[in-house]
Parts: sequence; C-alpha cells; structure tokens
Amino acid sequence: MNDKALVLKGIRKAFAGHVAVEDLSLVVPRHSVFGLLGPNGAGKTTTLRMVMNILGPDAGTIEILGQPADHAARDRIGYMPEERGLYPRMVLEEQLVFMAAIKGVKAKEALARMGPWLERLSLADWRKRKTNELSKGMQQKAQFIATVLHQPEVLIVDEPLSGLDPVATDVMREALLDLRRNGTTIVLSSHQMDTVERLCDRVALINRGEKILDGAVSEVKARHGKNTVVLAFDGDGSFIESLPGVVRVTDFGQYLEVRLEAGSDPQPLLREAAARLRLRRFEIVEPSLHDIFVETVTRHGKEAA
Amino acid sequence: MSAKLWAIVRREYLERVRTKGFVIGTILGPLLMAAMMIVPALAARSRGKPLKIAVLSARQELREAVEAALREVKIDGRDRFDVQPGQAEASEAALKQAVLDKRLDGYLALPEDVVASGSASYYGRSVTNRIVLRAMERTVSAVLVGRRLASAGLDPGRVKELTHELDMKTIRLSEQGEREDQGAAAILALIMLMILYTSLLLWGQAVMTSVIEEKTSRVVEVMAAGVPSTTLLMGKLLGVGAAGLTQVLVWALSLLGVSLAAAGPIGSFSMPEVTPLMLVSFVVFFLLGFLFYAALYAAIGAAVNTVQEAQSLAFPVMLPIILAMISFPAVLESPEGTLAVTVSMIPGMSQLTMFLRIVVLTPPMWQILLSIALLGLGILAVVWIAARVYRVGILMYGKKPTFPELVRWVRHA
Repeated sequence: MNDKALVLKGIRKAFAGHVAVEDLSLVVPRHSVFGLLGPNGAGKTTTLRMVMNILGPDAGTIEILGQPADHAARDRIGYMPEERGLYPRMVLEEQLVFMAAIKGVKAKEALARMGPWLERLSLADWRKRKTNELSKGMQQKAQFIATVLHQPEVLIVDEPLSGLDPVATDVMREALLDLRRNGTTIVLSSHQMDTVERLCDRVALINRGEKILDGAVSEVKARHGKNTVVLAFDGDGSFIESLPGVVRVTDFGQYLEVRLEAGSDPQPLLREAAARLRLRRFEIVEPSLHDIFVETVTRHGKEAA
Repeated sequence: MSAKLWAIVRREYLERVRTKGFVIGTILGPLLMAAMMIVPALAARSRGKPLKIAVLSARQELREAVEAALREVKIDGRDRFDVQPGQAEASEAALKQAVLDKRLDGYLALPEDVVASGSASYYGRSVTNRIVLRAMERTVSAVLVGRRLASAGLDPGRVKELTHELDMKTIRLSEQGEREDQGAAAILALIMLMILYTSLLLWGQAVMTSVIEEKTSRVVEVMAAGVPSTTLLMGKLLGVGAAGLTQVLVWALSLLGVSLAAAGPIGSFSMPEVTPLMLVSFVVFFLLGFLFYAALYAAIGAAVNTVQEAQSLAFPVMLPIILAMISFPAVLESPEGTLAVTVSMIPGMSQLTMFLRIVVLTPPMWQILLSIALLGLGILAVVWIAARVYRVGILMYGKKPTFPELVRWVRHA
C-alpha cells in the first residue's frame, strides 16, 4: 500500500501574463491533515484545481494515491472549493443524491448515508427544502456533506470553517477529525491560522506560486526557535519595540507577541519590562503559525523584490 | 451511457420539465396551434347571422334590382344579407337612426348618378367584415355593369357568358396522391417553420442560461472536479435537448391529431395535410438544429459572466438562423431553385430550410440525407469547438473574453 496520498512533482502552471504556480513539489502522507497555506493569490486554488484535474499543469506530474491524476482517481477524492456551489433550485436531498452520483454512488446508497450526516450537522429538517431556502451556513454544511458522501480517501477542503458560527465550527471540526480517525487524508487550505494550528499536523506555505515552507507543524515551529515572548501588562508598552534584540511586536489587544532575534536572550527584555510595567504575564513560547506565516511571506516578498 | 453522464442528463431534464413554464408552454402550444387551424376553418363555415341591411336610393327600380341581387348572395351556401324592404320615401336620417338603434346592421346609399359614377357608400356599425362587404361590392357592381351594358345595347347575360373568368384550382401532387390546396400549405409551412425557429432559439438559449447559472452559483467547479468537462457539456446538451424534444413531440403529435381530426370526425373543412414525413423531419431537424445551436450557446454561456454580456456574442451565432428565415420567401417561391437547394445544405441554416422544402414539396431523398449528413458533420465541428471554449470558460470569471482570446482558448485547450 502506498503511504503517500498526494505527490506533486515540479508542477508549473502559467496563465496569460503571469505564472500562477512555479516548480511546486509537495508530498502529502496518508492519514495526515495537511494545511496548504499562503496569502491571497499565492496559487493555492490553482494547485488544488490541478490536483482535481480541472486544470492541467504545464509541466510536472501529479499522483493521487499512487495513480496519475486521472478520472479514475477522482472518485476517491472529495473536493470542496472555496467558492461553494450548489444548484439553487434543487431540493437538498436530490442535490446530495446527484452529487454522490457524480462520484459513482448509487441513489439508494447515498440516501442511506446522508441521514446520519444531516442529523449530525442539524440539517435533517431541511432535507426536503430547496437549496436557496437555506442560510449561507447551512449551505456550507450541505456542501460538506455533498463532498464526503462518496466516502473519499482524500478530502480536499478550501476554507472549511469560514462563515460558520462557533457551534457549527466545533461540529465541523469534530467531523473532520472523525474522518481523519477513520483513515481519511485531509488537505485543507485556510487563512485562519488558529484553525490550521489546531487541525493540521503538516503544513506547506506557498507564496507567489512557490513553496517557501514545508514540514510537520512541530518541526516548522521548532525551526523558528523559542524566541517569541508573550507579554501581558498594565501601562504603556510602546517602548518595547525600540529595545535591542526585538525584531517585531504584534499587538493582539489583550497581549503582545514579541519576536526576538535568533539566539538572543529574553532576560534583558524581562528585566526592562518588569522595571517599567506592571506585568501580568511573561511567557517564552514557540512562535504561532500566524507569526511564522507573516514573517516568512514578508521575507520572501522582500527577497523576490 | 455511463452512470455519471446519465445522472447529469436526468438532472438537467427534470430541472426543465418540472418548471411551470414548461408545463404551460407544452400544453399551450397545441392549443394555440389547434386554434390557428380550426378557428378560421370553423369561422368560414358559420360566419354568424346574415347582415341586416337596407338600400337607400331615390330610384325605386334600381333599388329593387339591387335588393334582389343582394338577397341572392350566398357564402358557403348561406344567405349573407337580410335585406329589409326599402321605402321610396325613407330618409337617410331615419336609416341612420335605425342603425344606431340596432334595428339595422347598416344601409347602402346609392346616389342618383350611381350607374354612371360607380360610387356608393355603406354605413354600418361594423365595417370590418371584409369578406361580406366585398361580396356586397361585387354584387352591386354586377348590377351596375349590367345596367351600363344594357344601355349600350348589349345583353348582360351574353356578356357574362363570354367574359367568364378562369377559376383555377391548385392541386398539390405528391406520392401520397392529389389534394386540392387553397394556399393552406404555405400557411402550414410558415406556422411549422416559426415553431421550429422559436423552439431552436428558446431551447438553445436555455442551455446558455443554465451554463451561466452554473457559473454564477459556482457549482460548476464542484461538477468539474467530479466529471470531465466534456461529460458535463454532453449531459447538459442531452438533458436540455430531451426536455425540448418532449415538448416538440407533444406539439408534433397534437398537430397530427388536429390534422387527423380535421380529415375525420370534426368535418370536412379545408386543412392542409400533415404527412408523417413532415412530422418526422420536424423532430429530426429540431434535434439536430438544437444540438448545433445549443453547443454554440453553451460556449457563449461559458465565456461570459452574465446574460447581458452574452447578447453581443449571441448575435453572430444567430446570424445563420436569421438568414435562413430571411430566405424563406425565396425558398417558398422556388423550392427546387439553386438558392433553396444550397441553403438547405449549409449546417446552421439547413435545419430550417430543408424542413421548409420538405413541407412544401418532397425533395429527392438524397438531398434530405445529404443535408442531414452535412448537418451532422457541422454538429461534430461545433461541439468540438464548444467543448474547448467550455473547458476553459467555465472557470474564468471577470472580463469577458474578446474574439481573438476565444480563438486562443480553442487552439490551446
């Protein structure tokens, strides 16, 4: 059995005028939750579309579950694009049966499978309603069911949690983790770094069509070192920015995240802060994915320019 | 057919067929058709009550002659005029009042010098019943001409005998036998042509709208991730086409029904024949014409973002079908002429023109088959192009592509 769900080798895709993806190679191991990150316009959607064989790459190869990305493999993948799409005038139940049929599932089977899902995502009462009567959040949940009804081995979801209320977010996250426990490989693309941090065990960061970071989440964090300090205090902390060794200060409102130069000692900062502020919290932490994301993308942008 | 293609065809078909518009259109079509064919025929048979009129003339002898002649007028074996005996002293004012009081439908005023001048006036509440009034004009005219002939020393009866006009019947000869035709074939041809023309455009545009809707609702990306875009396009063409075919079949069969009923129980009014060949070619040319235009419309739908944007691109696509409609009188004039034969071979126009030729005469079988074969090739070419534009276009949002860009899509897809 192949232990790699997705293998992308040297993928390139150019549209009239600009290169969307340049020499991109990725490996997504089976049974992992893989986060594909990147700023807007980085080439994430283009990459996912090539994986789904909606677009053909100009160069490079894509393997899904050990097979070239042809149509046979498509039935084993579930894809929820960033722009949700359902037929607006179709009754939810028929819609789900249809979407499953497109993936080769018989109507009877689809009807049997959708019941528990509709219950779980509290859509059971809406089964006979038309899609355009559903709220945005409900449509998103319906879309998710449509994506998983054929029990895909690889699930590719673009921004799975955006637009959901906190309750629905929890339900959806639980559902994703359940799928993973049952052996589904999940590739998710998101801007919500806390989502990624909580769900993913591997991430890749792409910017301007190139991969600039790749690896297990713990590994990526370790690579960036324990040189981040979280500070909560009363008083005016604006002087911190100008202290020696401080690279960047991110104000989260309730607390500050202070990034120090690699290898620098946080003790002088502690002494200075303790002297001038009423500290409530001082903690040396791993950098957040958010921080790594911003830093890496900014640095890459400068290098490219 | 693969299960996935079948699922798409089924969805497209049901989505169309379940709308109110479809149900109403399908039922209304035959009703309108029946009305168009039966009502004039029935109306000709029973044109209501005879017209109640009086004749006003100072010359009693002329008045009585005109009255007598009008009493003789029959249309479809029924009296057309209920002529009230006139009074010499009757005044125009009294007659006008009688008309307004509805004691009379109208009156004919013959001036003193009517025989020489040949001008008279009819006053009536309704003056739109052209056929009856034409009959009145002809009858009075005959009386006046008789007067003039007599005063010139000629025998009116003899003159009428000698100047008897030709009464030419037109009989259409076909393999099915002879049949007297009173211009109805041309009307039938026009009606069927209009139905074919509008159904082609409407169902073609239905495909375009549904492609645009799939783009707008973004469902197309989900679909494209599930099946190849060619399957998607084929499913759409076949599904919408099947819905259109359902409607057209209902129409064709009810046309056949009306035609049979006209020949049978309802009675012997004049109805042009509807041959099985006509009906079969109606269905065949609808299907082929639909595939041809729907593929083009699907490509347009994929290239644009809104229905409004589609208008400018849709016009060139409609050009051949419009040209075919414009050439209609020429084809009717000379169905075996060079123009007619040529146009009936060009894919995009042939589905209308060849059908028209089949309705007005029976073209040689080889011409029909050649036309269908060429149209088939045309469809293959158009679908090939459309599939390429479609594949690229369905995921393109934003600026509407220019024509050179579309050409590039086709070349590189």
